Amino acid sequence: MSFIEVWHLIIGNPILNVLIALSHILGGHFGLAIIALTVIVRLVSWPLTRRQLQSTKALQDMQPKIQELQKKYGKNQQKLQQEMMKLYKEAGVNPLGCLWPMLIQLPVWIALYQAIMRALATTPENLLDLAHRLYSWDVVRQAIPLSSGFLWLDLGKPDPYWILAIIVGGTMWAQQKMTTAPSVDPRQQSTARMMTLMMPFMFGFLTLMFPSGLALYWAVSNIIGIITQYFVAGGWGYLKIGSPFQPRQ
Amino acid sequence: MKYAQIVFLAVICLLGLLGISCIGGGTQPGGWAGVTVHDGIVYAGTLDGRVVAINATSRDLQWSRPIVTEPSGGLACDPAAVPAAIYTTPIVVGDFIYVGIYTTHGGRMYALGISDGEVIWEYPKGGAYIGAIVGRTDIDNGIMYVTSSDSTVYALDINRNGLEEWKSEVLDEKGERHEKLWASPVVHNGAVYVSTFDGHIYALSVETGELLEWSFKLEAGFASSPVIYEDTIFLGSFDRHLYAVKMGSDVPLWKFPRENPAGNWFWASPVVNEGIVYAGCLDGKLYAIEAKTGEKLWDFNAGNPIVSSPVLMGRLLITVDESGTVYVFDLDGELANEAVPWRTIPIGADVRSSFCAHEGLVYIRGEDNWIYVVDVDRGQVSWSFPLTIEG
Repeated sequence: MSFIEVWHLIIGNPILNVLIALSHILGGHFGLAIIALTVIVRLVSWPLTRRQLQSTKALQDMQPKIQELQKKYGKNQQKLQQEMMKLYKEAGVNPLGCLWPMLIQLPVWIALYQAIMRALATTPENLLDLAHRLYSWDVVRQAIPLSSGFLWLDLGKPDPYWILAIIVGGTMWAQQKMTTAPSVDPRQQSTARMMTLMMPFMFGFLTLMFPSGLALYWAVSNIIGIITQYFVAGGWGYLKIGSPFQPRQ
Repeated sequence: MKYAQIVFLAVICLLGLLGISCIGGGTQPGGWAGVTVHDGIVYAGTLDGRVVAINATSRDLQWSRPIVTEPSGGLACDPAAVPAAIYTTPIVVGDFIYVGIYTTHGGRMYALGISDGEVIWEYPKGGAYIGAIVGRTDIDNGIMYVTSSDSTVYALDINRNGLEEWKSEVLDEKGERHEKLWASPVVHNGAVYVSTFDGHIYALSVETGELLEWSFKLEAGFASSPVIYEDTIFLGSFDRHLYAVKMGSDVPLWKFPRENPAGNWFWASPVVNEGIVYAGCLDGKLYAIEAKTGEKLWDFNAGNPIVSSPVLMGRLLITVDESGTVYVFDLDGELANEAVPWRTIPIGADVRSSFCAHEGLVYIRGEDNWIYVVDVDRGQVSWSFPLTIEG
């Protein structure tokens, strides 16, 4: 069995069939099915998200100490890294730990993209291919073919009005801003600022190229992330103006 | 450490985007144009957006006409330009060959000169597009009927350079446009019949394109194009049944199978002959069904999905499964009702296109972009021709 076959068997086809079944259950609205699936994915990945949030919170709590180290060893990057690693180790925090949920979502992105293109039968090949991927569930059989319309969107095509691009970019920026700690080191601060802007800009741009169904997933996922972050971390984090962690000039 | 985080994040995003772009969801349409034979010339649409003419006697390429290319707009693994996809089997009428195209921007109909493939006219003109074209066109009394992905049926006068006679948006009960009209139209007794993905059969006036009084609605959508035989429409549905619908009736004459659905969709249009419906199914079976009653006469399990419609050549019934095995049934032979093929001929390439049969030869375009010509009597591939231009 090839990698592609295993991929479809384990990830691709289940997501496709669940999406189609959800669409039928939700009155034939494929957009609602994507939103429901996003919620399900976020629920399934909750243990990882919780760890991510805990790591973020721990990193936030450590900021005064980190800034102190940055002031102390700002001119000696090697020493600074060593001291910071020591600090992370003592606190039991893995600074990369907060990024794993993103990695977990990778296959979901890919599978969702494939599922959207196949389920909406954007090309005749996709529709024919769908025949070989559907489970024999009644709920799936009755749902085909799906309607791609949702609100102002054609879920199989990019949003022509850029509204979704702004929502994706804006929510991603807000989510990143909530968790990105400011740095005393001007170089790191500049990089972080650039990253906080670059990623939302990149995803906003991609929203203009990819089917809006996938962008809908990104937008809903970001919004859920912001809400979760708000309640678990107890506020707007670094997004809040006048955050106690903002560096004093 | 912040750098590590940023790099990690960037790598994850790039991996995701590359994965989406490379693994993809089959977003690029490839086309599965069938083959037509006319006056000893084989006409076919290729996988790289060309229409070709091959001399069947000398086996030489007469001409090759690329239709159109366009930027893909894709990422990473996509090429800079993508040829238009051709799903419609070329139709030859008089000195012209007609073909529709499918691009991500939309579709267009072309009339090419039969002798050299020169574009004589196109519809719409001036670089505009209508909805992408998938269904085979039907020509009747000099009018070409085209269905397109913009849920519209077009009537074009082929004797007046494709002048638009009318266009008719097919509406559903709520007055909303359907998203796609991929099934082929069929002209019968002054009406154009089209089936839709939301389970309608509509009849349109050939004169004006207006919806006629009768229409038919099924809960499930229709997967195949309609076929008309003695005022009954036969077509397959996404609910894995084949339906017979008497024109003017609100209820199906029958559905096959009556109870439990078949193993998959009846994707290909059936063929009807002497009161028997021959229908290929994606479950790998070819069914012979009594046209009046829906009773199964026999079935044959090819073992692989049947995507292409069966074809009759005299008293020979020919079907090809997706793996490229040609099955020939002699309808007058003793074995016909026992569902035993008279000939079984593998061509060695996948087949999704419609094919044609002429004077003992079956002309098939494989998914490997080759034309295969199968000699039914000898039970083997007589000759083949590559459609891919090197370099």
